[in-house]
Amino acid sequence: MDSRRASRTVSDPKIRQVGFFAPPPDRSFSGPPDPISTSTPNPATTTTAANSPSSPPISDLSPTGNSLPPVMIPPPRHSSDTTHRLVPSPLRRDTLSLTVGSNNNNNNINISSSPSGGFDLTAVKASSVPASGLTTVSVLKTLPPGFTETIVEKVGGSVEMQNDLPANSKPLKERTSKAERRALQEAQRAAKAAAKAEGSKLPATTSGAAASANVKPAKATKPSSQKNDSATVASSEKKGGDRPPEKDRKKDAPHPRMQYDDKSRVEKAKRRAVVKQTEARNRVELFRHLPQYEHGTQLPDLESKFFQLDPVHPVVYKVGLQYISGDISGGNARCIAMLQAFQEAIKDYSTPDEKTVTRDLTAKINSYVSFLNECRPLSISMGNAIRFLKNRIAKLPLTLSESEAKAFLQSDIEQFINEKIILADKWTLAQSLRGNFYFVVYSRVGTACVAMVAHEFRVPVLVCCEAYKFHERVQLDSICSNELGDPDAISKVPGREDINYLDGCTNSENLQLLNLIYDATPSDYVSMIVTDYGMVPPTSVPVIVREYCRDQVWI
Amino acid sequence: MFIRVCAYQSWDTTSISLTAGCDLFMRYVTRTSALEYEDFNSARSRLIERAEKFGEISSKARRIIAMLSQDSIFYGCTILVHGFSIVVLEVLKTAAQNKKLFRVFCTEGRPDRTGLRLSNELAKLDVPVKLLIDSAVAYTMDEVDMVFVGADGVVESGGIINMMGTFQIALVAHSMNKPVYVAAESYKFARLYPLDQKDMAPALRPIDFGVPIPSKVEVERSARIYTPPQYLTLLFTDLGVLTPSVVSDELIQLYLWS
Repeated sequence: MDSRRASRTVSDPKIRQVGFFAPPPDRSFSGPPDPISTSTPNPATTTTAANSPSSPPISDLSPTGNSLPPVMIPPPRHSSDTTHRLVPSPLRRDTLSLTVGSNNNNNNINISSSPSGGFDLTAVKASSVPASGLTTVSVLKTLPPGFTETIVEKVGGSVEMQNDLPANSKPLKERTSKAERRALQEAQRAAKAAAKAEGSKLPATTSGAAASANVKPAKATKPSSQKNDSATVASSEKKGGDRPPEKDRKKDAPHPRMQYDDKSRVEKAKRRAVVKQTEARNRVELFRHLPQYEHGTQLPDLESKFFQLDPVHPVVYKVGLQYISGDISGGNARCIAMLQAFQEAIKDYSTPDEKTVTRDLTAKINSYVSFLNECRPLSISMGNAIRFLKNRIAKLPLTLSESEAKAFLQSDIEQFINEKIILADKWTLAQSLRGNFYFVVYSRVGTACVAMVAHEFRVPVLVCCEAYKFHERVQLDSICSNELGDPDAISKVPGREDINYLDGCTNSENLQLLNLIYDATPSDYVSMIVTDYGMVPPTSVPVIVREYCRDQVWI
Repeated sequence: MFIRVCAYQSWDTTSISLTAGCDLFMRYVTRTSALEYEDFNSARSRLIERAEKFGEISSKARRIIAMLSQDSIFYGCTILVHGFSIVVLEVLKTAAQNKKLFRVFCTEGRPDRTGLRLSNELAKLDVPVKLLIDSAVAYTMDEVDMVFVGADGVVESGGIINMMGTFQIALVAHSMNKPVYVAAESYKFARLYPLDQKDMAPALRPIDFGVPIPSKVEVERSARIYTPPQYLTLLFTDLGVLTPSVVSDELIQLYLWS
């Protein structure tokens, strides 16, 4: 089970590692440096994979402990999946928190994940935490109906992705009423027909559709029947030899992140979104794979929902709103705000009965993260910070009492903020940094031009950046992943109101305004990077990424 | 002991290898659990033991470097050498002892006369030597197969700090596609990062032109130069054969995890 889980995470294209990671050189034979780099083994990470679901992705990053080759075709995962799929509705209804929605939110991100690489890992983690996701069935009665719909559909979607469904099956069939059973059967029939008719993509959407059809009796048993529905649908597919669509797409998809030009995925994401995205007008064709900029129209809408949204802690919600309105901008500010919000949330958090702190808390954090991601796509630094936090949660010794654990986590977050962000923050130029052999500086648009010109004139270019922003994701240009800003912003020149040639041009067919927020600067133009570890050449970014993530030391 | 090391460093503030060596020496020696011993004497003897080991290691380093570079010296090759480096001399000695046939071009190395000293040594080994004036490097670069230099210091970017003239030779060699090899022990790795020539502390020394110079004429007296990493091919060190970009990797591991 563990090997399969690990293999799945390794083979996941989102976090595929191509290239060689040699173990640190054995220096026993000479030299002053000899005492230092004993290769610290990573069996710790792989063994904790059994205990804590959040560590397999970390073990991917610490390659010395990873016995699997970097690029691996995953073995077909039929057997365990079928057994799980055939067990109907493995739910435990003993908790009343709303993490169903949250975990599924995150599972959706698994299909159509966020722009930031760090977040992909969180997504993977979440989907390998099936227990919390499936075991918490929300008390849907208290929610406004609109919200119920989204939760129910998310549940439907989540089962498709669950690799290892827990075997804790308390079949809830006896609790479903006859009417619901009939509806269930109809849904199954419809789903099967749809599957046969239109191929592998649709069962998810039809199960979603079936789910929406069953929304009206909003009872606690609803998710169970939905699970039944999609579980059996999935199992029927399995029997047919097809994998569920999301899995296929996950494996074959060349793009690890949410591709916004893929209609079906956009539809799905929309249905699950807490923040309703309005349709962007006049989108540039080349950039349709990026999340389109929505004018801040949802701000008042979200403000009104402030007191209704149980799954999202008020402080997190507030931070999300601040992201949307642009009150908080800049990688570090956003990261600090997010972490402080999480601190608050952890303080107010109380473990539901019969659940482990780590899993439930991780699920909650996932839900907050996905909410924040909808408000504004996560930056690299935030991805790394989230990964750090989840790592810490996962490493909590099980013997800690709840209050101790909370205090521990809060102090950890505090320390992270202080050391990583504030102390290293004495100088800030770049927004975020991604590293690989072809390393790239990803910062506000315009940086690449400046760096190129400076390079031509032999002016050294220095990049100042905290090490926690380093990331192993590869980005070849500015187009494959970016954020779009307000297109109207570029038609106005601040301070000069008379330049208004572009007013009213947003509606013309031949003119499309494009406002990219970030651009990528190649490493050739950068002379030196200043980090909290000292001055490093651009070629050493992968070294720092490697050292940083090794053993989850987070020095 | 710390005080004495600082004394060494201040004796010649311009010597980068000395600084780097002392720094690494301190790290090596103090990075031991000996300091936790209750008994002062045993701790002291342990420190001394490690210090002596450090000395052995650095002389062993030269032998390792010589061994590693033998593969790059092929039969009938022509090697251009600049400056008088004991490490490079060891390399050539080992090659001569292995009965390899090769010849050496020595630059004169003004004003330190390094070329004269080196050619003396090589003549003793029966290695064919040709002396060039420093300006004749480009003229003879066609016949040269590789360039071998030592280093005063290896900086974080992977570049080297060496005797004046090294950068020119590396530039010419690079433009003519000849490899430039650097032989340096690992204790010369320094945590410097010069972006251009002015970033280093100047090391000025008197230059004798043989004739009196009018006082209005300025003389460039700098003794060393920084060669950026893109002009270097490989570094032969006791840690192995490295490319310039790996130097920073080593330095990060060295200084980060201690």
